[in-house]
Amino acid sequence: MEGIAERIDSFLVPLVVTPGDAIRFTLVEWLGFFVLFTGFAFAGWAWFYFRFILRNLLRNWLRTSLTAMATMVLVLVVTLVWTILLFLSNATSEKAKDLKAIITEKWQIPSQMPFSYEADLSEGAPSKNGDFRVDTTKDSMTWQFYGGTVDPAKRTRENIVFFFCMDPNKLMTVNDPTIDSLMASIPIPATYPYRKEETGEMVEIKSLNLTDAQKKDLEKVKNAVQKGQITSMMDGLDEMAPEELVAMRKAILLTLGDKRKVVVGRERLLALNKRIGETFKLTSLNYKDIDLEFEVAGVFPDGRYNQSAVMHRDYLNDAMDDYNRRNPGKRHPLSDKSLNLVWIRVPDTASFQKVEGQIAISPKFQSPAVKCETASSGVASFLDAYRDLLWGLRWILVPFILLTMSLIISVAISISVRERRKEMAILKVLGFAPGQILIVVLGEAVIVGILSGFLGSFSTYYLINEVIGGVKFPIAFFPAFMIPFEALWWGPTIGAITALSGSIFPSYNACRIKVSEVFARIS
Amino acid sequence: MFPTEIILYCLMGFTLFMAVFAWLAKVPIKYNLRNLLVRWQVTLMMVLAFVLQVGVLIFMFAFVNGMYKLTEGSGVPGNVIVLSDGATDEVFSNLGFADTSDVELHPTVLQSENPDDPGPLASWEVYILVNQPIPSERINGILLGGDFEGDSMKIAHVSWGGVLASGNLQVGDVLQKFNGFTPANHESLQKLLAGKMSGIAPLDFNRNGSPHQTFCDLGKLAQVGSTRRFLQVRGIDNPTRSLAVHNLPLRSGGKVFSQAGVQTIKGPNGIATSAWEVILGEGIARTLASDQKKTTLEAGDTFTVADRIWVVVGVMKSSGSTFDSEIWAKRTLVGPLFGKNSYSTVVLRTKDADSAEITAAELTKSFKKSAIQATPEKEYYARLNTTNQQFLYSILFVAFVVLIGGSLGMMNAMFAAISQRLKDIGVLRIIGFAPWQILFSFLLEALLLSLIGGLLGCAAGFLADGWSASSIVSGGAGGGKSVVLKMTVDGQILVFGMLFSLTVGLIGGLVPAISAMFIKPLDALR
Repeated sequence: MEGIAERIDSFLVPLVVTPGDAIRFTLVEWLGFFVLFTGFAFAGWAWFYFRFILRNLLRNWLRTSLTAMATMVLVLVVTLVWTILLFLSNATSEKAKDLKAIITEKWQIPSQMPFSYEADLSEGAPSKNGDFRVDTTKDSMTWQFYGGTVDPAKRTRENIVFFFCMDPNKLMTVNDPTIDSLMASIPIPATYPYRKEETGEMVEIKSLNLTDAQKKDLEKVKNAVQKGQITSMMDGLDEMAPEELVAMRKAILLTLGDKRKVVVGRERLLALNKRIGETFKLTSLNYKDIDLEFEVAGVFPDGRYNQSAVMHRDYLNDAMDDYNRRNPGKRHPLSDKSLNLVWIRVPDTASFQKVEGQIAISPKFQSPAVKCETASSGVASFLDAYRDLLWGLRWILVPFILLTMSLIISVAISISVRERRKEMAILKVLGFAPGQILIVVLGEAVIVGILSGFLGSFSTYYLINEVIGGVKFPIAFFPAFMIPFEALWWGPTIGAITALSGSIFPSYNACRIKVSEVFARIS
Repeated sequence: MFPTEIILYCLMGFTLFMAVFAWLAKVPIKYNLRNLLVRWQVTLMMVLAFVLQVGVLIFMFAFVNGMYKLTEGSGVPGNVIVLSDGATDEVFSNLGFADTSDVELHPTVLQSENPDDPGPLASWEVYILVNQPIPSERINGILLGGDFEGDSMKIAHVSWGGVLASGNLQVGDVLQKFNGFTPANHESLQKLLAGKMSGIAPLDFNRNGSPHQTFCDLGKLAQVGSTRRFLQVRGIDNPTRSLAVHNLPLRSGGKVFSQAGVQTIKGPNGIATSAWEVILGEGIARTLASDQKKTTLEAGDTFTVADRIWVVVGVMKSSGSTFDSEIWAKRTLVGPLFGKNSYSTVVLRTKDADSAEITAAELTKSFKKSAIQATPEKEYYARLNTTNQQFLYSILFVAFVVLIGGSLGMMNAMFAAISQRLKDIGVLRIIGFAPWQILFSFLLEALLLSLIGGLLGCAAGFLADGWSASSIVSGGAGGGKSVVLKMTVDGQILVFGMLFSLTVGLIGGLVPAISAMFIKPLDALR
């Protein structure tokens, strides 16, 4: 039984978890076949049926539109659920190249390692010739977490900020000095897309008024990302517009020049009721008695970092040193626990395995012991706590919704067939074969399914991505799930499949209508 | 979870109104029933659609309800939990004993009535979240070594755990075949291990008489979905008192761990080895037992965490609280192992809820030796409802969308019913039925459909009651607890399911019924 279940699972899971891929493939095939077939051999035949079906559908526009609307709203639910499942599936899928690894404390959550581990771990703990050595200038990153509130007397979700303390250069590393100077020359402020007025107000920049040469420079910046001249240890660099890249680089330079300066996500800044250029003081929640003052140097581009904040790691480490100096004999409790995560990027699986081995055998990381795992494996571990919820979404909610859609379409088509029994009988008298009647009925359902499915997925895509800004489902540490572009295919495919399955029985009934019986009943 | 009374009153009021109105209006209910039976195919499909919609909603609400019940069931009304100031969760709290030991001397803290264990009813605890690689089904050896001889491997050393251990494999055994696999060489052994064990396993072996040392390639771990789980380990000093403070009795046959917290047990190779004594919650006992193909762990069973053997000495009757997912062990052992040398929390028992509230306020305000925050324990656990609320809102959104979809489907069916029965409507009008009675007749038909579908959907959804599921409860500011919950279908969920179903029937039936009301009798009969 287990073997059969596994086989079924291996067949069904790609359809459910990566429906985009599965669907894209079959659709390309289907579309190619359809175009070729109808375009050359049966164009007239297809056109006749299409018009015939369309006219039938428009005859009872109320029923057609009710069925279409029901399909649309149910497609919305399926699209939302599949978006979450697809995202999580991608996040937990191993990459073969350019894979990221996380090094954390081996046994404990949250990981708290001494900062003295940083140098060796960032390099991948090479100990001898031939060991793999990570390029620390661009392929490693450390994270420390500093959280605090602007109002210690009354902590709320709004007045709390959690900072990633890191080397700001790892937000965006410019590997080519010419690109760096090119970015510096483009007159886009670090505060873009805002401009600070003399009154202190922040005004959104409507247009940049760049010269043609500067616009060409922006193109070069964009190309630099593709060529690897600009890299980042954070995800999402490729999603940024060149203007945002330039502004981000300038903000990074500001944080490098003054450790108090920070980059904050839009929504977090809004929640704090602060603007670019303003300062605020945090009373720490996790680093007791280490309260720090910050100045907002820039904002993250709109998107996945809306709730995030980044500060220079040296600011925290200097403050810890200062605390220990001021309190001789009483080191800060987190002095040897301030390093939370080390990220490294390796070119391939073999390199990862080598680094993993290097770290595992190194005697330097014994107390506490550390582990190295791929980022996807780390995410998968976090998701294990949600496995039942995800199982329910995948195997209960989605199939039930699909079945409901199928039933709604089935009801509509059944009613339609029942009302048109006389018409079907006449068609048979006129020479229509049962198969042709079957095609007509199935065609009606499939066309409604495809069109309403597409409208459903398109409106979901627009509504969620452009209006709402992502699906905010509280799972693991993901802030919001954006509907992927391939979701535009999901709707028509779901619509077509559910319509087809829902209309098989009514269309079979339609093609089996007996002319004599129908006319006998009329007479 | 829901304002039950309001929903219930709505449902009752609605039903009463419909019944009275149907009686007053003298609606031909038999006629409607007969029509449902005549077009039985459509009726059946609509009922099935209702069953699916209501069933899936009840299933989802049962999950969230289980989460709510868990947080509501956690904590004792008279308890006060003390954390370090600023800590948003136990896991972030650090209490130095020297600075905070006086909190248990607060006058409102009750004294233990156990003559063998006198003192204030205070439980000093360290709370740690621990990574546990989920043991593989086939191999759970931490260290595996052997000599390859032809197509076999002679085991040189094997660590504790898993099938290798439970299969009574010992050092010196020759592995010809293992689970159908021939360990012909190091590479093939790597393949066997790949993806089946977390971390990296050092493998020592001899090849052609010369010693080699290498590592098993476990890098493909994630590709087959093998992951880790997070265990909640609570280190305590005095288990008897902590159990008393938290009102958690042990299941029969269990006992608290010893003063040392360690005992010697016989290992799989027959060699005596030391194991840490632990008390488990019932939920985590079931979860850990699944690794060993058992239903639950009992006293005497062992498992492996952080390269150490842990032996169960007792299982708490903890069902329905977050303690159900916890492992309790000796603080002086687990604290240093995971680098936690301070306490996370101290839980104090006072007389009752009012007393707990007063004590918490006083301690937070007046305790000067160290900055602490004291909270009534019930309030602390109630704050863990943020995740529950977010899940609830998500489900309500899904319910709303499904409600619209279902209503549109219902409208379709009812419009069709009306168009098929135009002549009937004409006759009814001519024999004296008023337009509003026609409206009511069709509305009642839709409601009847939704009532049957709703009842069957509730029955289907009720099957989810009692299922175990895992999730996370948290206050939304970091931390959180990985919990094993029991899905709960209770009265208010069933009432909500029925209300959902009737609402779909009402919305889906009302518009077509209104259209039926305006049909002119002569036009209908023409």
